[in-house]
Amino acid sequence: MADKKKQDSPAASFSEMVTQWERNFDAFANQVMGTDAYSQAMNEMQKSQLGMQKLFAQSMTQQLATLNLPSREDIVHLTDLVTQLDRRLERIEERFALNDRPKSKRKRPPRTKTPKKANKGDAEEKKS
Amino acid sequence: MSNSPGDNADIDPQTAAQTFVAQTIARGRRSLELATAPPHPVGLSPKEVLYSRGTLRLYHYEAQSDEVYRVPVLLVMATTNRAFIFDLAPGQSMIEYMLQQGFDVYVLDWEAPTIAERNLTLADYTQDFIPTCISKVQEDSGEEDVSIIGYCMGGVLSLIYAATHADGPLKNLVCLTTPVDFHRTGITQVWNDPRYFDVDALVDTLGIIPAETVTQMFEMQRPAQKIAGQLRLWDQILDDDFVDNYRAFNRWGEETLPLAGEYLRETTKELNWGNKLYTGELEVDGNNANLSNVKMPLLSIVAEHDHLAPRDATLPLLDLVGSQDKQEILLKGGHVSLIAGPNAAKRMWPRLNEWLAERSV
Repeated sequence: MADKKKQDSPAASFSEMVTQWERNFDAFANQVMGTDAYSQAMNEMQKSQLGMQKLFAQSMTQQLATLNLPSREDIVHLTDLVTQLDRRLERIEERFALNDRPKSKRKRPPRTKTPKKANKGDAEEKKS
Repeated sequence: MSNSPGDNADIDPQTAAQTFVAQTIARGRRSLELATAPPHPVGLSPKEVLYSRGTLRLYHYEAQSDEVYRVPVLLVMATTNRAFIFDLAPGQSMIEYMLQQGFDVYVLDWEAPTIAERNLTLADYTQDFIPTCISKVQEDSGEEDVSIIGYCMGGVLSLIYAATHADGPLKNLVCLTTPVDFHRTGITQVWNDPRYFDVDALVDTLGIIPAETVTQMFEMQRPAQKIAGQLRLWDQILDDDFVDNYRAFNRWGEETLPLAGEYLRETTKELNWGNKLYTGELEVDGNNANLSNVKMPLLSIVAEHDHLAPRDATLPLLDLVGSQDKQEILLKGGHVSLIAGPNAAKRMWPRLNEWLAERSV
């Protein structure tokens, strides 16, 4: 009785309406967006955006060079060098065990636990 | 809408109108509070960083039981998202549940890759990061055997690791919503059509694929989901539990990570276009990642309504692996609700515990 009242309430109707709308809209959108034509259009648009971004980056690089300032590529190159150095240092530290830190003081319970049977839920199973 | 005047047919129209106005004001006030609130706290189970390098973070969680199973468990997260989905909130945390069940839990999580990490490939993830983390887990736990639980693409990375380290220390492998047949991934397969999708132009121009692009790819598959979510939030904004839940999930979605460009290029060409994980032709760093090399006990848990790793894409896993002890569990739910939220706690976690516990002694 209470469940029926709950189902009939405007709250339930609103929630149901939203769910239904979401389901229908997604299904429709997936139909439209799941086509070859959509994929082609979407990817063409992305390609032209990337083209514009590339052109802008090139012109910015030229301007930065004129102003004698480092470009993004220069910074990326520097970052790569620092990363390589960092990695090399890490390997050296590992080799000489310099990064040996004291064992964590966290609780370390014994590894003696054995399983007990759990309840099964509502699932389909495929076993081999 | 929730708690609206029509909920009770005995209320007279004037009282109903007053209640409606009062609730609308309360909703508005709550919306303002939420708009200015700090990010919802997530990932609260006590942990320590065991190892970090660049994008990689390896965490060890504090035990929550008096004794633990012998074999430690390493959770491997997908590279596009943060692992706090496993630890959303106390009482709604898969990690907390596993700790309480007696597992020794380690998590391989990711930070946003920097521009210096744009060249990371499948080889870095599966032949360096995962093996390194396994060594750290072995060293920390003092145990040779390690079990892995991989989620989504984290499952794919774990499978590739397992296939290329057949003699490795992997005791058990659990794949959560893990696709293997990439020619059956639904709408993303259409969008990634090699005739139209120029992955080289994308990667060469951007280097790192921005988080916004990754999020857009996810959201476009369910374009109404965000608006519907906001409508539901408005409807139930006075329900604190609902709001907390919404904010935690929303934060996870908003904190999607950027992707290393080379990794995207390689997964697109080798997995999406070549479907080489399925055909057994995938080579990573010179090692053949044929899934028939996977011989350890394997559990695949998949969701009925998963649109990111559809049933067709996950289905062939059991037939492809060489394991004798293998099982698939199909559960109600979607890609995320399979692992987090109230339904996951009811449906998935106990099944996972049941399977893994008896193989972790």
